[in-house]
Amino acid sequence: MKKTLSIASLVVLLVVVGAVLVACFGTPKDNNNDDNAALSGTVKTGGSTSVEKVMNALIYQFQGENRDVTVNYEMNGSGDGIKNTISGLYEIGHSSRELKKDGSEDGLTATAYAIDGIALVVNQKNTTTALTTEQVKDIYTGKIKNWKEVGGADALITVVTREASSGTRSAFAEIVGLEKADAPETAIVANATTCENTGAIQTTVSQNANAIGYMSYSDVDSTKITPLSYNGVAPSEATLKDGTYTLKREFYLVTKTGAQLSPAAQAFADFVRGEDGRKIVAANKLLPIE
Amino acid sequence: MQNSIARAGKSKAPLEKIMNVLFLVCGLAAVVSVVLISLYMVLSGAPAIAKIGPLQFLAGQIWNPEAKEFGILPLILSSVTATGLAVVVAVPAALCVAVFLTQIAGKRLASALLFLVELLAGIPSVVYGLLGAILIVPLVFQAQTALGLPMSGSLLSASIVLVIMILPTIISVSVSSIHAVPRQYNDVSLALGSSKMQSIVRAVIPAAKSGIVSGIVLGVGRAIGETMAVMMVAGNAPIMPEFLKPARLLTVGISMEWAYSSGIHREALFGIGLVLFAFIMVINVLLSTILKKGGARK
Repeated sequence: MKKTLSIASLVVLLVVVGAVLVACFGTPKDNNNDDNAALSGTVKTGGSTSVEKVMNALIYQFQGENRDVTVNYEMNGSGDGIKNTISGLYEIGHSSRELKKDGSEDGLTATAYAIDGIALVVNQKNTTTALTTEQVKDIYTGKIKNWKEVGGADALITVVTREASSGTRSAFAEIVGLEKADAPETAIVANATTCENTGAIQTTVSQNANAIGYMSYSDVDSTKITPLSYNGVAPSEATLKDGTYTLKREFYLVTKTGAQLSPAAQAFADFVRGEDGRKIVAANKLLPIE
Repeated sequence: MQNSIARAGKSKAPLEKIMNVLFLVCGLAAVVSVVLISLYMVLSGAPAIAKIGPLQFLAGQIWNPEAKEFGILPLILSSVTATGLAVVVAVPAALCVAVFLTQIAGKRLASALLFLVELLAGIPSVVYGLLGAILIVPLVFQAQTALGLPMSGSLLSASIVLVIMILPTIISVSVSSIHAVPRQYNDVSLALGSSKMQSIVRAVIPAAKSGIVSGIVLGVGRAIGETMAVMMVAGNAPIMPEFLKPARLLTVGISMEWAYSSGIHREALFGIGLVLFAFIMVINVLLSTILKKGGARK
């Protein structure tokens, strides 16, 4: 009797576990709209590596909703993304910088869909409230070593940075001008305290009264650390939106001006800037642009 | 009743065989995984070392993946220094604790303390990292400020955390090996007129030497392989080791840059893994042969 009972309970257990597994990993029902059902084909895109996380999330969602559409995304940097859009290799190029206005990138339209703000952060005990580009550059190259040189207390600066190959690090270096001429490396001092992720930056800066770090603005917890003004402008969603806070970058979709996109490519571009796309952008800790 | 015993006897033979096979498979699984891991480490780490150049890789002083410079000498020296300091401090301390627990303390006190030590051994490393970041790093900040250095995580903080982490390992292994020494050693030594301390140092500890060495080897292995706790307190700058400056250890070198690395950079991280692997192997073999042989000669 006991044995049959335990076998029965085992069977029940298996069925329940199986059902849960199917519910979790089984194929979800298609919620295709009728107007999407006609879409098919391959959309060739490529460019910036900085948009990797959000773009993969966008493509994943878009392809899930449009099973017959494949969106390619070659990661080769904004420059190649723009160049290959001009040549027609890509229908849509990804760029994390603005188009150059020197004529070399004419005939393209860059549509921003997300803003990635980078905040300079210090400990709450720090009395410094603002830095200029020049000061940030000097701090990160080791020229300025003491907070008193930038209007703070007499204390040595602890430079906190991200690890090599971090996207935030390279964007920060690019915007502030920390890139060495003709070299891929940044000029950030070698003895800078290095953190492996945004959370570690926040923790390190909140525990070290003399530290300065940089991190994605959307992750700043201002109850623990203080974001600094950069060239006189405090980072906020408003200053990010109106463009006065310049330690930021926008993510763009680049297309040929006036050219007719394929229906699938047009649908993808609309999706990225549409309500669903904005949700994904926001979920990836960026500020969506309406 | 009789029937059931007979039946049990019959079913025993196949059961024996099945269990034999089961144990064999388990035994082989351990061996096979060691072989596979070694193979994998060599196959994935060696090409990068060859590409970069063994000398540039092992003796290069600059780790800068952005500039394609992959010198891990600072990482190697930081690991060696941090582990070395931790062992130098922890081994004598752990031995003293072990002697106290086994020879000096009363039974009740000893078992209570031993329980606490074993509890210490079971604490996850990230908790040690947290404690280090909250308690030890700020203490080192004061020393750094006094000496005119910027406040930061440091090699010293990492070493201190490692000391605390490896103490319980060494203590508990030493305690069991001292316990295993026959009582007569101590008794005879005492009967021959030596004091309590003399017989502990001259008779009991030498007899327990091989067990103590195993404890040290385990401790060193734990120290050199520790990642999380160290990453939280060491500051992680890839520069030559100085006690009060940030330092990046081999383990941290891998885990820190793993997420976004690609191409030769990622291969170089595998190369670090191979170096770390070789390190632990060499340390284990060296320590156990040298120390154990030294004991045998005496």
